[in-house]
Amino acid sequence: MEYIVTSIGLSLVQGFVLLLIAPLVAGIINKVKARLQKRQGASIFQEYFDICKWWKKATILTPYTGVIFVLAPVVYFMTSFMAATMVPGFLTGQFSMGDAFIFVYILALGRFFMTLSSMDAATSFGGMGGSREIYISVLVEPAVMLAILINSIRYHSTTLSAMVIDYNEAFFTVSAVLACVAFFLVMLAENSRLPVDNPDTHLELTMIHECMTLEYSGKLLSLIHLGSYLKIVVFLALFGALYVPVEIPLALKVLLGAVLIGIVETLNNKMRLFKVRVYLGAAIVLLLLAIIAE
Amino acid sequence: MDFMVLSLLVYLLGAVTFIWPKKAELVAHYFGMLCSIAASGLVAFSSLSYLLSSDSVWLIDMAWGQYTLQADGWSGAFLLITGVAGVIISIYAIDYGKGYLGSRIRALGGLWNLFLMSIVLVLIAGDAFTFIIAWEIMALVSFLLVNHESEKKKTVSAAYQYMVMTHIGTAAIMVAFYLVASAAESFSFIDMANNNLSGYMKNVAFLFAFGGFALKSGLMPLHIWLPNAHPAAPSHVSALMSGVMLKVALYGFGRFAFQFIGMDVFWYGLIVMVVGLISAFLGVLYATMEVDMKRILAYSSVENMGIIFSAFGCGMVLYSMKFPMLSVVAFTAALVHAASHSLMKGLLFMSAGCVMHATGSKNIEHMGGLARKMPYTALFTLIGSMALSSMPFTSGLVGEWLTLQSFITFAQQAGSPELRLLVVFAFIMLGLTGATALGCFVRMYGIAFLGRARTSIVEKAHEMPFFMLAGLALEAVLIVFVGVMPDFLVNLMQRVVSGSGIILMGNPLGIMWGGSGYYALYSPALIFIVFAFIGVFMVAAVYRSSTFQAKEVTWNCGTVPTSRQQYSATGFSKPLRRAFDGILNPRRRTTYLRKEHAYFGRKLHYELSIPDLFNDKLYKPLQQMLINSSSSFHRIQEGSVSIYIGYTMVAMIVVLIWGVLL
Repeated sequence: MEYIVTSIGLSLVQGFVLLLIAPLVAGIINKVKARLQKRQGASIFQEYFDICKWWKKATILTPYTGVIFVLAPVVYFMTSFMAATMVPGFLTGQFSMGDAFIFVYILALGRFFMTLSSMDAATSFGGMGGSREIYISVLVEPAVMLAILINSIRYHSTTLSAMVIDYNEAFFTVSAVLACVAFFLVMLAENSRLPVDNPDTHLELTMIHECMTLEYSGKLLSLIHLGSYLKIVVFLALFGALYVPVEIPLALKVLLGAVLIGIVETLNNKMRLFKVRVYLGAAIVLLLLAIIAE
Repeated sequence: MDFMVLSLLVYLLGAVTFIWPKKAELVAHYFGMLCSIAASGLVAFSSLSYLLSSDSVWLIDMAWGQYTLQADGWSGAFLLITGVAGVIISIYAIDYGKGYLGSRIRALGGLWNLFLMSIVLVLIAGDAFTFIIAWEIMALVSFLLVNHESEKKKTVSAAYQYMVMTHIGTAAIMVAFYLVASAAESFSFIDMANNNLSGYMKNVAFLFAFGGFALKSGLMPLHIWLPNAHPAAPSHVSALMSGVMLKVALYGFGRFAFQFIGMDVFWYGLIVMVVGLISAFLGVLYATMEVDMKRILAYSSVENMGIIFSAFGCGMVLYSMKFPMLSVVAFTAALVHAASHSLMKGLLFMSAGCVMHATGSKNIEHMGGLARKMPYTALFTLIGSMALSSMPFTSGLVGEWLTLQSFITFAQQAGSPELRLLVVFAFIMLGLTGATALGCFVRMYGIAFLGRARTSIVEKAHEMPFFMLAGLALEAVLIVFVGVMPDFLVNLMQRVVSGSGIILMGNPLGIMWGGSGYYALYSPALIFIVFAFIGVFMVAAVYRSSTFQAKEVTWNCGTVPTSRQQYSATGFSKPLRRAFDGILNPRRRTTYLRKEHAYFGRKLHYELSIPDLFNDKLYKPLQQMLINSSSSFHRIQEGSVSIYIGYTMVAMIVVLIWGVLL
């Protein structure tokens, strides 16, 4: 019992640590993008300021919304936070609440409420965002399942802390490298980054995630942004711990991953919405090959 | 006397509403529902005592001549599902049934009791005769219930389609029973377990049994009756049909798989698994395209039965690969998901009934903003929708997690590339299914309950009467209870499959599964505690009176939005329709008047239909073939008596010659 309490405590501490660095990582991605585009760019601490600014502002609601609309940002943030407590590698030991499937479904809970809230404001923008989010998630999900499958075949468990990559066994094997590349593709799609979604734009033809958050303001908006920054860090940490077959500290992997996202986002355009299935099909094929090669 | 037999008698007592005087219709209705609540309570209570007390094989043992009643753990699990669903849905029906005052409400009450009785009778049948008779009563009574609103033309055609299809299924099941029983030279289930079916006949028996039961449980491609019959029936009837009757088919198939045919052959399980996976994905894909609330739920039943059968098939495959201990997780997954699907689909069919009661429509395109009009119904429907999208803290995820674990367990043992490919296929299908189910129920709930009213039918909507809400609430509470503390249900179901000898998966921490170096743990209670812990702080931090001050109309590029500018349900599923248009084959027809202005203000008529793949590619050609072949028979049917006498004589001579020669 004591052991469980300690583990839960450590998980919570880890969640808070990731939460603290999350805006920084988002700031780093933006800085990398700015420098690659020959701009000075904002400070890497800009996201902290933004969050604080939104938190202080008043929240404006539309008269059509109901409980779901004000509940969704909190649920979304909490699911990101729960996911952060589950990531292996920082503080959590052998016991972990984090089953890989539960990790996926916890994040799905956030998506469930965000897409619902997108319909609550009674406008075409929201519905558009929700509809596209569902479309992307349907295509991403098989790839996520296969990514879980490959590590659980290798390490005989679906508990995240047991699925951490073993450098002796999987040091640059074919299967490990394929899985690593594929998970990176999945990560970009899951976090609404380029080339699947453009986080910088507010043009109705291109946006997905931003569409759903269009009606939010004040505290609720800051929660949504904090949640999505946290989600990126969680995925980067998971990517580093489970799939990068190089033995370097996890914090460095997260940093390098953030830089890589910045580079990829600079090099790529947003692809057409209906081309996304080809993109994720590629990820699925890579994972399939990895599983056969395992 | 046994409680189970007592419950049968109480159900029969409830059926006296048929001959109740017409003046006291309402009393008859109350009496019928009271009987079904009492009897279903008895069923649930005594099944629980069977499941908990011992693991002796036969729990009831009675015989009247040829007819025997017997029950074991496998029946007990389904009796529990039936009892719980029977009690809750009958409570709901107390108020819901009042809508049928003046339109054969006495018959409705009586048939309701007979329907529940026949289900219980199927589950405790101890020989093939009793089983088939009870099965047939179940089919006929449910046909009459589906046909209850026979004033509508659509209802009648749906009911007759159901009648025809279900009898094809019954025929297949009878053939399977006949093959097994003739090999065992007895109709009693105990003797049939020791049959000496040869390999070839065993295959035939398996295929007939699977075909028959798959039809009743609505697996693709035998599902076409289901999306028509469920919407046609009164809502509480569809709740019971979807929540319980489909599971009874799993019960029958399990009887065959465990006792009569065995699971030694690899491809038996393989077929069940693959058919289940395909049904799961296609079912939910069609559900996402529908706009009729009950058709959405019906197709979602196809999906969930697919998941249940795929888990069952996975167990059969593991068993045939000589891992009987590992197959436990898969069979438990099938049972747990069956129980939880019965809860959540019962809840959602009942809330579809509430929505119909409030608005008079099933089409979600006409709704919107119902949550403001009927907040409690909206809350319970939200819980049901979350459960069907297998969200955490609902029973849906428990079943889904166990299913995923059984496939991972299979993956651990699948060494060869062919099996690996099969595993990859399974996970792709499960992933697609899970994500599409989320989309499907977000769409259904979001369009119907959130946003603004799309038409005026929402204006007159109102909250539901007490008993209807009570039914919804009971289901919702059970869903959350199982979702947060799954150990009780999981252990009950596992004991059915494995006996009490081996370590049980459920413990206070959650569900733990392991075996041959593999382990996994899901502890919803712990996650719930942490979630609630953070949640308290978050709510305290965010929801202050100072947070929400201003109200402003939704941003709509500078114009005031109208309710017609919201996304429609059809529009919401458009990206998915496009992504899977190879399967869905949507048919669009756009017509507009050319005389008017070419670009602006012209009148446009747009029509979209998504025909069911199997209906178009399988059933229509089959029907055409039948009609063609019968018209060729038409030639020898001249209608003159002398020719028929001639036919008889020729037949006689042929028989005589045959008799002489042999």
